[in-house]
Amino acid sequence: MERLAWRQVLLPVLAVVLGLVSGGLLIFVSGDNPLTAYGGMLEGAFGDTDAVGRTLEKATPLVMGGLAVAFAFKAGLFNIGGQGQLLLGASFSAWVGFRFGLPAPIHIPLALLVGGIVASGLGALAGLLKATRGTHEVISTIMLNFVAANLTDWLVSRDGPWNDPDGGALARSPLIQDSAVLPKVGGLPTGFLVAVAAAVVIWWLVSRSTLGFEVLTVGANPKAATYAGISVTRITVLAMGISAFLAGLGGAIQTLGVNERFEPGFNTGLGFDGITIALLARTNALAVIPAAVLIGAMDAGSTLMQARTDVAPEIISVIQAFVLFFVAAPSVVRWIVRLRTGDDDRAIDLGAGWGAA
Amino acid sequence: MTTTSPAPTSPASAPGSARSLLGRVRVDYRILAGLAVIAVAMIIAYQWDSQQTTAVAARTIREAAPLILAALCGLIGERSGIINIGIEGQMLLAAFVGFMVASSSGNLILGVMGGMAAASVAGLFLAWTAVALKMDQIIAGTIINIFGLGVTSFLYVQGRTMPSVPNWPIPGLDELPLIGSMLFSHGPLTYAALVAVVVVHVALFQTRWGLRTRAVGEHPSAADTVGVRVYFVRYRNLAIAGMLAGLAGFALLQSASVFNRGMTNGKGFIALAVMIFGRYRPFGVLSAAVLFGFFNALQAQLQFRQAFDIPPQFFGMIPFVFTIAVLAIAGLRTRPPAAIGQPYEKE
Amino acid sequence: MRTKWLRLLALLAALSLVAAACGSDDDDTEAGSSDDTAESTDDAAEDDAMEEDDAMEEDDAMEEDDAMEEDDAMADGDVPCEEDDVLCVGLVTDVGTIDDKSFNQSAWEGVQQLGDAGAHVDFIETQDSVDYGTNIGTFVDQNYDVIVTVGFALGEATLEAATANPDTYFVGVDQFQGEAVDNVAGLIFPEDQAGFLAGALAGLITETGTVAQVLGTDLVPPVVAFKEGFDGGVAYTNPDATIIATYHPGGLDVAFTDPTWGADTARQALDNGADVVFAAGGQTGNGGLAEVAKEGGEAFCIGVDTDQWETVPEAQPCLVTSAMKLITPGVVDIVNAWQAGDAPSGNFIGDVGLASYHDFASVIPQDIQDQIEELTPMVLSGEVSTGYTP
Repeated sequence: MERLAWRQVLLPVLAVVLGLVSGGLLIFVSGDNPLTAYGGMLEGAFGDTDAVGRTLEKATPLVMGGLAVAFAFKAGLFNIGGQGQLLLGASFSAWVGFRFGLPAPIHIPLALLVGGIVASGLGALAGLLKATRGTHEVISTIMLNFVAANLTDWLVSRDGPWNDPDGGALARSPLIQDSAVLPKVGGLPTGFLVAVAAAVVIWWLVSRSTLGFEVLTVGANPKAATYAGISVTRITVLAMGISAFLAGLGGAIQTLGVNERFEPGFNTGLGFDGITIALLARTNALAVIPAAVLIGAMDAGSTLMQARTDVAPEIISVIQAFVLFFVAAPSVVRWIVRLRTGDDDRAIDLGAGWGAA
Repeated sequence: MTTTSPAPTSPASAPGSARSLLGRVRVDYRILAGLAVIAVAMIIAYQWDSQQTTAVAARTIREAAPLILAALCGLIGERSGIINIGIEGQMLLAAFVGFMVASSSGNLILGVMGGMAAASVAGLFLAWTAVALKMDQIIAGTIINIFGLGVTSFLYVQGRTMPSVPNWPIPGLDELPLIGSMLFSHGPLTYAALVAVVVVHVALFQTRWGLRTRAVGEHPSAADTVGVRVYFVRYRNLAIAGMLAGLAGFALLQSASVFNRGMTNGKGFIALAVMIFGRYRPFGVLSAAVLFGFFNALQAQLQFRQAFDIPPQFFGMIPFVFTIAVLAIAGLRTRPPAAIGQPYEKE
Repeated sequence: MRTKWLRLLALLAALSLVAAACGSDDDDTEAGSSDDTAESTDDAAEDDAMEEDDAMEEDDAMEEDDAMEEDDAMADGDVPCEEDDVLCVGLVTDVGTIDDKSFNQSAWEGVQQLGDAGAHVDFIETQDSVDYGTNIGTFVDQNYDVIVTVGFALGEATLEAATANPDTYFVGVDQFQGEAVDNVAGLIFPEDQAGFLAGALAGLITETGTVAQVLGTDLVPPVVAFKEGFDGGVAYTNPDATIIATYHPGGLDVAFTDPTWGADTARQALDNGADVVFAAGGQTGNGGLAEVAKEGGEAFCIGVDTDQWETVPEAQPCLVTSAMKLITPGVVDIVNAWQAGDAPSGNFIGDVGLASYHDFASVIPQDIQDQIEELTPMVLSGEVSTGYTP
């Protein structure tokens, strides 16, 4: 048992190290010192409490985006709509945040919930279209991303209903009220704790609950699920709804804890990042957390890396690509480090859900 | 991990029966009906305002071209049994390499070839991870996307220019009313997209290559039994498909005349939607891309002419809302090739 | 159950291991600093050589190379900003890049001019709007004297940092100041006036009577100002002209970085009979300019922000002029005034105007040039209203 755990950790660690080394080579080739660059990145990500706080702040929406994609995968669904769902969650939680004056213990959860629920509607719509009309969720969630982005842009644009009256012509909502702000405890964002809690709940849901069993069954084989008396329609709608709820909650946490208002065009990479993180974590809800922290740390550290060297922050994406490659290709890692282990790495098969109507 | 793909009974292209493998052209009447409606609407619109109708028709095809090429790349991959969600990354790599080559050599042909080579290498990478490493193909595609965006953004330095891709109006035909501007007055890559639809269709349904490709995508173990080299077919096809993604990337440059970080702006993903919407068939892809292009052209035209007094954000939603609506109403269920996404291991 | 938790713990431990590994790398760097010194000496030598090159072609002082060079010079080196006699100027971009051929680049060119005059300069590119405060803070922590923040979106973060650091001076490009704060100057521009002049010219040179605008997003106030000013200008000189305009349908994240859309839309405008296209939207607009250039002189285009004759050479076949915001001299003027002890605060109105006609000076009829010349002071003084209300 112990040896198994050790092996399962060894490969991801090696993958991360190899990813950093590959990125370092590129930095070196482009004429910079990789050690200085990584030193800056590390200090920017973990150097002091502020830095750790920033890393966790960055990691929070990534955890949620990763969970959203990972959970949908469990049901054999590919939710590329995390971006749009995040925007809906962020804007509606901002609306609850600035519009209503309530005591904080009610205001914060209410704003979070409203954000999540509105977003889950968008996901459930994609699920419903899939289950009843056969519209592939990849198409509908991509399209809905654009719809959600335009809708939320309009809500806070200068002609929109939620525009900040004090913002000149700026497209943004008013600041949320103090009672809706997610506090920081000792410089560390509480939003991250909410995200961790969500990961635990999803882990429990998937591995311990009846619903989770149904979701997994539908994901593995919809036909068999139907024979077993599981309503594929219900599970598809529910799974997409929950997935979108998670992404929307991520947006809401970000709004209440960091931005404190809604502005168009934030966190634009989340759609991409959520997929990356879910895959890094091999769709395991709990493994999403370290995966998100890793990516969040790179993001948070990139400012100081930039200030110390002239390495463009885009290098981070390249490193992520390498890390993902090594995580997904254990045989390559073994070949490089001449590691001899049994083939304990379980292949993951996400493609199974790709076309199933 | 041997693949035991369940023998499908009534899939879109009925792989089980030899007759269909020889290439029965199956027409989807709903898509055809949709196209007919659009055609009639266009003629009526042309009677009402020829200039605006022509402008919209021309934009429709121009907008559709990169989507067609990119979706055909995805289509060939999926027909060979490999999911390709890395088209976005392939297009970006192609646009970047194509731009750098065209810019430093001053030669557009070299640029196109450079772009095609880059995307083709990415396609080979995908085939290698799928065939040799048995890596999950969604992950492999995601790697291409992240890497493509990251490495091109990292390496790109502003300030270069490339020769612009000229328009090639076809003498005689480009003067035709409506059709002339719509089909015969574009740049070379737009023509390439239209030609590619026919070529891929014929190749897929009328040639040995197509037969083998579909066999590998539907039932690799059966194909293997009759002597088709499954791995080889997958490598070769992904390389060919990559070239189409390369053309798609260069088609973006044909318009923009300059590279820009992240210039695909999600077109690779929209191409995925186009491929699925087109039901993994070249003419389906054409219809879906044209439909999407039309709504894009329409939204710009409506804004130009201030047809409705609504905020620009709502004009911007038009293509996406209508695409979903059309899909939901048509109720198109898609069934991808049966062996999609599964690594194949020889028995 | 137990294994799952073990795995999680182990993964977290793995993360910290990696962190530790990197940490020791960092130590190595410091220990083995001789390598480092050698490297930076090399760099410095290279820099010198390049600077000489640059001196020979002063016109090109704003080349990208220069940006890299400034950066190289400070890489690995100690930042000397703690000393009083060194002027340190840092620049934080809006989401986007330093070489965007637009406002980030223009502002950076201003900062570079200060660098040429002896200041120590550096920039940080913002990746995500969440990081504005952090990026500004990075310069504050290094004791920079002046911090230039570019873009209306950084306004709030800039004010916050200014309040917390009264000894640091901030220049906010495109940031309107509601109430004056002592150590903040907002460099703003009457874009509508530049747009008006461009529109007036477009109205005079159009032969088809249709002029087009290909625009970034209306979410950004300066774009709206350019557009409505342009509308006013066309109406002023050619009331019968048809104006067709469209904003990019995507959000902030794509509206300025989509040259393909800009080109396709410009082509659609030409198909609609337009023969003058005003392209105001960063890279998106530049794509539009390049497409109009393919007409080979049959249609005109007008650029925006900077003199795009220089920044978008592929547009030269059609580019009659650009509606300019003079960001570069604005930044230099403000910092120089601050150094002279006369720091501006509140709003500092920068100059706008039309760029040179370049090769089109011989194409545009003299009487039209005269009319524009006559109109220019009237618009800039406010005597002729542009019709734009913020």
